[in-house]
Parts: sequence; structure tokens; C-alpha cells
Amino acid sequence: MSKIFGVALGILAAIGGFVDIGDLVFNVSAGATFGYQLMWVLPIGVVGIIVYSEMCGRIAAVSKKAVFDAVRDRVGFSAGLGALIASEVVNLMTFAAELGGVAISLQLLCGLPYRWLIALAVVGLAVVIWVTSFEWIERIFGYGGLCLLVFAVAAVKLTPDWGKFGNGFIPHVAQNNSLLYAYFVVGLLGAAMTPYEVYFYSSGGVEEEWTPKDISLNRANAIIGYGLGGFLSVALMVTGATLFLGHGISPAHLGTIALGAQVPLGEIGLLLALIGILFAVGGASIDTVFSGAYNLAQFCGWEWGRYRTNVNAPRFTLTWIVLLALGMGIVMTGVDAVVLTEYAVIFSVVALPLTYIPILLVANDEAYMGRHRNGRLANVLGVVYLVVIMVVALSAIPLMILTNVGQN
Amino acid sequence: MTEIDIALKVLDHQILDREGRRCGNVDDLEIEGGPGETARVTAILVGPGVWAQRARRIGWIASFVGGGRRVRVPWEDVTEVESHVVLSKTAEELGLGRGDDRLRPWIEKIPGAHR
Amino acid sequence: MRTLSSLQRRKVVTESGDSLGRLYDLRGELTARALTVSGLVTGKRGLLEHFGVLRRKTPPIPWSDVVRIEGKRIVVRDR
Repeated sequence: MSKIFGVALGILAAIGGFVDIGDLVFNVSAGATFGYQLMWVLPIGVVGIIVYSEMCGRIAAVSKKAVFDAVRDRVGFSAGLGALIASEVVNLMTFAAELGGVAISLQLLCGLPYRWLIALAVVGLAVVIWVTSFEWIERIFGYGGLCLLVFAVAAVKLTPDWGKFGNGFIPHVAQNNSLLYAYFVVGLLGAAMTPYEVYFYSSGGVEEEWTPKDISLNRANAIIGYGLGGFLSVALMVTGATLFLGHGISPAHLGTIALGAQVPLGEIGLLLALIGILFAVGGASIDTVFSGAYNLAQFCGWEWGRYRTNVNAPRFTLTWIVLLALGMGIVMTGVDAVVLTEYAVIFSVVALPLTYIPILLVANDEAYMGRHRNGRLANVLGVVYLVVIMVVALSAIPLMILTNVGQN
Repeated sequence: MTEIDIALKVLDHQILDREGRRCGNVDDLEIEGGPGETARVTAILVGPGVWAQRARRIGWIASFVGGGRRVRVPWEDVTEVESHVVLSKTAEELGLGRGDDRLRPWIEKIPGAHR
Repeated sequence: MRTLSSLQRRKVVTESGDSLGRLYDLRGELTARALTVSGLVTGKRGLLEHFGVLRRKTPPIPWSDVVRIEGKRIVVRDR
């Protein structure tokens, strides 16, 4: 019984942790620009992150290796170093975007000056990481993120055109504005399949000492958690479609996104939305900073992990502290958090193949995985998504340039 | 006696000391014995100083940034080659994990360091 | 005294000059006390083989067939 309870809690944390600033920005913008026409992209993104995470989780459980352990093992030093540099740059950009989101949500909640709140957010995150255990970090931010369910309630209350909504799930090409449409396809997939998610997930698996017995449990956790988390993305797009489409409002600010809950549900809706955003983006900040530290430590062979305690993984600890400081530096320059988010998502997509390909290879390798290597279904999905990822990775930057970062 | 592919199974893998502490990756392997003789792996080479020979220019830069240290671990000190490479001595005894050891006293000064 | 990395990616040729591909790995025999090099793992298909996608069908070249190791290549006995 308590095992089911534990699984349920894990799923709740996964739902609350699914959304980050990339999802907030891209899903609401997609709705505001194209209505329900891009709905079909969301299930593709959700299944994609499930496929990728499942492989990484299985690798962690069987071979006790997290992503960058496996990457360096498998493709060697130089290819691994290239992947590392790319991942660290993207992680840092993503962290800065999430940190900006934290500061903005704090500002909307309490009105203090932005720059103070950036510093306050960084100190707050540092203290939470320093003092709190891994499980409690996941729980606090995961459950807090559940407040975002207010968007699901709001989406229904806004009485969307259910016919058009349903139609949106049928894949189709753009009727007009096809470059911008393609840009949003890339952005939505990138926001759903964020690489730091799998670095964090697999490192967490090694930290928690998963064994092959934990494989099915974690597979279920991932499928249900990410699947339900996908509903939040749907709700965000519906909010954008019902409230902003056709009114010329482009949700270029988190406050506008929170309006999506305020309009149908009043002040309580706004409050829940802001708290949900704060926890979701705050949790994502910690995930990205940890991912940066995990990747570097794993590549270099250092001791790593929150479970080791701060003092027993000194270089790992120093790394996340330095990443917090660097992220703070970036956000302090006053760069717009939403613009930074778009760049971060697009660059993550470009870097995605660099770790996806080694992971697909390791997941198939009998020497690493024994009888737990990819079966037929896993390989069919794995290869299908390899194609998806390559197409998206190659088209991301040209589309970003051609649409002027989605401004058209 | 097991047959293994050495680069696949040993090179770039995580090294654990006798106590299970992570203390580097196998950055290169030293081989003694030439044509016509028995060739044996005689040591593991660890450290940023070894990276320059792995990846030319970018390896050289990484080596420089990392501090350029090299440690030689005789193959006799290896007990197991499975998912990780396990050693029969502690990291301190072999001169590994020095970066962590030097940084630890500083981290310890901060309250809550043992959490 | 050599390093494994210095041997990797060298061209492997026979004494008569036939190319056998590049060296990707060394086959070894692992015992409790030692790791002896028993053969050369070579491949012609390039990057994919290096990443282990296409497993080579040819058995490793025995170490005893190695005639000499030159600056950029390894010379083995004719097969």
C-alpha cells in the first residue's frame, strides 16, 4: 500500500515538475498565435521525453551510469567533450532563463525591485540546495508546481471551442505563416524534450541507487507523470488560444501568462497561477543547475551527488555554486527572460542529438544492459524519435533566424 | 580469463577506489611490449594532463583549464573491471581525487556542509 | 612504452601494403593479475564502427601478427 502511495507521490512531483519557463512561454504563445492548430505537437513532445527518459532511467538502473558517464564511456573523450561543452552552455542559458522567471514571479507576487529579487532568488535557491535533501527538493517544488492545475481549471472555464480544440490534435501543415508555424513546432518540441530533464532524471536514479527491479516502477512513474504533465501544456495552449488569439496580445511577459488564470477565476486564480509558476520555474532552476554540475563531474570522474553531502563532493558543490553565480550574472545584465527562454529552448534542441545518440547506442548495448537492452518497441520509438530530433535540431537555427526569433 | 575490448570496457570508465569513492576516469592506458613480445597494459593514466593526448587542440585547452595534473596508477592496483574500474587501494594512497581533497577544507568552513 | 590513445586511429596495413582499415580498439585477455593485449580491432567503415553501431564481423588481428609499429601506422604480417 505504501508503495502505491510512494508512486502516487512521485507522479504528483513529476506533474508539478513538468512545466518550466520554456513550456510557459512556447505553449501560451503557440495558442496566442495559432489557436489550437499546434495541439498535435504536444503528444509528440510528451512521448518523446518519455522515450528518452525511460532509456536514461533504465541505463541508470542497470549500469549505474548517468547520462554523461554513459556518453563519455561510449563515444570517447573528444566526442564526449564536445557534447559536454554544448550541454553546459545550453544548461547555463536555460538556468538563466528559469532564474529570470523566478525573479519575475516574485516581483509579481511582492512588487520588490527586479534586481533585488534576482539576488534574493539565487540566495534562496543556494540555501535550499545546501540544506535540503534531494527527495525533499523534488517534493517541495513538485507539489508547489501542482498549483499550475489552476490553468487546467481556467482552460475549461474559458469555454474553448471544443470542436476546434479536438481538430488541433490532428497533425496538419500551416495554412499560412508556415515559417512561424514551423518555428513553433520546433519550440514546442524543444520545450517538452528539454535535455536537462534527462540529465537530472538519470543522475537522480544513480543517486537513489536504482536497480533493475526499479525499472518498471520508474517507467510507470515517467509515463504517467509526464503524460499527465502534458495536460498542463495543453491547458496553457488553450489559455493562449481563448484569451489572446485574435486580440493581438502576445504573451511576452509572465504576468500576461498569469492573466490566463485571473480572467476566468479572479484573484485566487492569479495567486495560484503565480505560486505555481514560481515553484515550477524554481524547481527547474535547481534541476538545470544540478544538471550542469552532474554533467561536468561525471565527465571528469569527480565524486558527485547531493546524497554524498556537500562536503564529500567538493568540486561538484563548487560547480553548482559557480553556475548559480554565472546565471545571476547573466540575468543581472537585464536581458529579457522571455527572449532568453526562446534562445535557450532553440539551442537545447540543437544540442539534443549530441547526447540522445550515445544514449540510444548504450541502451542497445548488451555489454552495458544485459537482458535489459532495448526491445523492439523501444528501438522503433528510439529510432523514430532520432529522426524527429535530427530534423528539429537541423532546422531550429535557420527557423529562428528566418522568423526573427518568432517575431516574424 | 575474460576477453574484453579494452577501449570499450576500460578506457573512459569511472574509477572507484577501495572504499567506493569516485576518483577520476580512465583517461588513458599505458601499454608495454612491442611487436614480437607480449604486450601488457601496465598502468592507468588519470588526470587533465592526459587529456591533451586524447583530443589535440581542444584536449590541450581542457588540459590547461583542468590544471594539467597526471597520475599513474599501476595495473596491479586494479581489482575489478566491470561497470566501473575498481582499485585495491584508497584514492589518497594513489594520489587520486586530490582536487576534492584540497577543496574540502574550504567547503567545510560553511555551516551545514555536512548536510 | 605506449599509450592506448596513441595507437587508436592508426592505419593498419599488411607488409605488402594492403590496407586493413584503422585501429579502433585492442582485444585483451583479462585475468586476476594482468591485462594482456591479444589482438587489434580494426575497421574500414569509419565513424559508425568507432561508435560501435555496426559490429565488425572480422575477428581481431592477433598481436603476434604485428611486425612493426611506425609513426602513423601499424604493419602486420600478410594474411
